Amino acid sequence: MSQIFTLAKRELGGLFYSPIGYIVLALYLLFVGLLFSLMVLRPGQIADPGPMFLWNHLILIFLVPFMTMAIFSEEYRSGRIETLRTSPLGEMSIVLGKFLGAMGFYLGLIGSSLAFVIILSFFGRPDYMPVLTSYLGLVLMGGLMVSIGLFFSACTQHQVLAAMSSCIVLVALGILFQFIPQFLTAFIRHSWSWLAVVKHTMSYLAIEPHMVDFSRGIIATQNVVFFLSGTLLFLFLTYVVLETRKWR
Amino acid sequence: MPEQYDIVADKLTKSYGKFTAVDRISFEVPRGSVVGFLGPNGAGKTTTIRMLTCFMPPTSGSARVAGHDVFYESMAVRQKIGYLPESTPLYLEMRVGEYLTYRGKLRGMGRADLKKAIGHVTDMCWLSDRLRWPIGKLSKGYRQRLGIADALLHNPPVLVLDEPTVGLDPSQIRETRKLIGNLAGQHTVLLSTHILSEVELICQRVVIIGRGKILAQGTPDELKSGSRTGDKARLLVDVRGPTAQVKSALAALPGVQEITVVSDGPVCSLQLTGRVDGALREQVAALVLQRGWALRELRSGGMSLEEFFVQIIDPGASSAA
Repeated sequence: MSQIFTLAKRELGGLFYSPIGYIVLALYLLFVGLLFSLMVLRPGQIADPGPMFLWNHLILIFLVPFMTMAIFSEEYRSGRIETLRTSPLGEMSIVLGKFLGAMGFYLGLIGSSLAFVIILSFFGRPDYMPVLTSYLGLVLMGGLMVSIGLFFSACTQHQVLAAMSSCIVLVALGILFQFIPQFLTAFIRHSWSWLAVVKHTMSYLAIEPHMVDFSRGIIATQNVVFFLSGTLLFLFLTYVVLETRKWR
Repeated sequence: MPEQYDIVADKLTKSYGKFTAVDRISFEVPRGSVVGFLGPNGAGKTTTIRMLTCFMPPTSGSARVAGHDVFYESMAVRQKIGYLPESTPLYLEMRVGEYLTYRGKLRGMGRADLKKAIGHVTDMCWLSDRLRWPIGKLSKGYRQRLGIADALLHNPPVLVLDEPTVGLDPSQIRETRKLIGNLAGQHTVLLSTHILSEVELICQRVVIIGRGKILAQGTPDELKSGSRTGDKARLLVDVRGPTAQVKSALAALPGVQEITVVSDGPVCSLQLTGRVDGALREQVAALVLQRGWALRELRSGGMSLEEFFVQIIDPGASSAA
């Protein structure tokens, strides 16, 4: 157990040492700042940071892949995977340690947006409960995004390939699955056609609908289950990839 | 049950699809000895080592390290083995002390033990003055030492070093060899290399592998003397005298099968092949003096480990050479 934290600590340190970590952080603050100044901090508007949180995933789907791309790829490329995998810890511990380390950085990332909440508190009196649930939603969503990034990083020794693959999947979940179903509706003749199944699956997998409740201050079980099960699925897949790699 | 051997490989095999990288190899490493694992590039050294260190499971066969099976008791093996991979992979952004602390904690070492162990291994590997250096700023030699320090950190009974002297300058190579030599006795060391002088200097036993198979094993002396061409040893003689007469006189000596002139001139150099032993050398010396020629040099051209290696790796090439 303590080995998992040792691993997580190193991973977190690695992200803070690399320029990538700071670039991700800077870009995140830039775009959240834009969201904040365009949608939240406007004269005459209710002091509600909700929109800022609701659209957060549109920024994160492009940033998280860069945060996670090196986690396994760089270990494969440099050969450090050998010292890691011949240490007395199992594959599951490795996956969990790396995941927790990346989540630590992710928490710092979304935590930095607290600055805008503080700024808002100077100008008005926002309702803090939705802020809290929004952060809970962001953490759960982050788990899913980071585990997807981790999975693709474990698949290849090329960082760029890992980043691009996870970016494609996250863009699908974050943007495409949001709009394609609306477009498909026109072609659906009866409700049990395969197209309808595709449409419903896509709508279910889209990230935004699961974030709406959180930004309104509602913790709905279905959304928690969606993110948690997705996270567990991709962590398990990462474990499977690590396990199979050694048999090749 | 005390075991005599710390590493026992039994018909160890690794195949990648149709390609067999390591083909049913069996060998033992006696406890407390330094054993050289020799072979040309691509012979299967690293693959074998990766199976012994539990990095990948064997396709078939088995191996025991420090009394534990590498497949069924993988975690126990990992606790008892210190491994330096070929490329000495390190985290370049970490500091030396920080890295060793990280590695020790990964192995589940306690804080007090770890502090003591770091002091010990950094002294041993001449790293004490570099504890606070970022690894990225260290020279290749220091990185190599750090890799060895990491392998030694948990005081494992078995050490596996994959080409530890590659890329070092001559003085660093000598230091590293000295370090490995010092480890013998307390640790069992399997040293993979393709540098032959290294093996002669520090290894008590040698295992030679080529194209995935074991070609020979034994002590360096055994390999050199018990070579397949035992009765074709050579003697090199430099004599000041008329070449033709010297040649015919020496050819008449018993045991000489073949004689060739290496260089001609006032001082000629001849190579004798046959059953060359001490008696023949004395006879050659006596004969030369008796004829009134001057003996410049008399050198036994016994097989070097290098020649043996070349011969065993590629039997066709040695006859051509």
